[in-house]
Amino acid sequence: MFNKIKYFIQQSWLLLVTSFLFGLLIAVADAAWSAKIEQNKTEKLRGLMASLISDANSFELAIQEANVPGDKGQIIKTDIYKALDKQGSCAGFAFVAVGTGFADKIELVVAVDARCEKLFGFNVLSSNETPGFGDKIKSAGFKNQFKGAPAGKLALIKIGDAGKIDEKIVAISGATVTSTGVVNIFNKTVVSVKEQLQNKGLITGDGR
Amino acid sequence: MADENPVKINYLAALTAGLWRENPTFRLLIGMCPPLAVTTAVKPALTMGLSVIFVLVCSNLAISLMRNLLRPHLRIIMFTLSIATFVTICDLYLRAFQPVMSEILGAYVPLIIVNCIIIFRAEACASKNNVWVSILDGIGTGTGFTIALCIIAGIREILASGSFFGIAVMPRGFVPWAAMQMPVGAFVTLGLLLGLASLLTTKRTS
Repeated sequence: MFNKIKYFIQQSWLLLVTSFLFGLLIAVADAAWSAKIEQNKTEKLRGLMASLISDANSFELAIQEANVPGDKGQIIKTDIYKALDKQGSCAGFAFVAVGTGFADKIELVVAVDARCEKLFGFNVLSSNETPGFGDKIKSAGFKNQFKGAPAGKLALIKIGDAGKIDEKIVAISGATVTSTGVVNIFNKTVVSVKEQLQNKGLITGDGR
Repeated sequence: MADENPVKINYLAALTAGLWRENPTFRLLIGMCPPLAVTTAVKPALTMGLSVIFVLVCSNLAISLMRNLLRPHLRIIMFTLSIATFVTICDLYLRAFQPVMSEILGAYVPLIIVNCIIIFRAEACASKNNVWVSILDGIGTGTGFTIALCIIAGIREILASGSFFGIAVMPRGFVPWAAMQMPVGAFVTLGLLLGLASLLTTKRTS
């Protein structure tokens, strides 16, 4: 038995020692930079949320890890943030919503008004959609259709007036799958988020 | 003096070989994933190149330091362990201080672990040479790789968006070639540059 242990150590001591040293090196780097990494994530999310809710002065967590429906019956956990204006009143709500596009999953930051009746719009948190086609979901022309649209079920149409603000969203030419993906994200998440906010008593008559 | 010359030539050769003669992209055709995947613009290509230089230099240094202790059956696992460590550190650094680039490069930074240029230099150079040769080899090979990435990215960025390093360089009215931003643009550009490199080499040889 002792000989076996001795043989094992003789054969692998370099691997054990370097694993420990390299692990230590990664732990030091992680300890030094993890706070900055978290700060970057938070700043990015808050920046995207703030750009959607113009009156927002600060954000507070309204519902932590709310369950919202994702693709294929999956349940996705997302934090719902409440935007506060300078007077401390509710200026709207924002959350991260995920769905499937043409190439990969699409992550959006979605914002709704304080009564959860109208959409403030969305920003793309991450997407790998086809350049020149699917990535036009980041363009103002497509995004502006959602600003002021009702926070309920949206319908995708192929031909229509993109300047008219209603529940009809005109698809990006040549990127119908991506456009459908974005509309599906709204249809699956916004209603669910609205219900959860109502259940928690966070949406009142005047939205305050 | 007679003893010093061969040493000087080795150091110089270690530094310059990767720039052209053993350029990983244009001459050896290894590590071809980043030249195709992260060359839509020069900034991410440069970030990827600098990351590879960092990982190459650090892993070459670590492997060179332990070269006399390496046993044949542990060789590959030790290379992978060293490379993975420095790639993880590089990834953490980018996420902390270059979040935009980290996001653009996405999974391609962690994928440096499986980039065969690094394991190739560990096997061919660092495990057989002293620390200084290994470091110079890392710098040279990494720089050659970075230059190749930036050339491909420069061509693609100019044609795809009319800009270079984010600065508009094409005249007003230029119609961007959307295809250059897509994988087809990467394959076409790389193919043409490989053809050019081959032509230059053939001419020089003849």
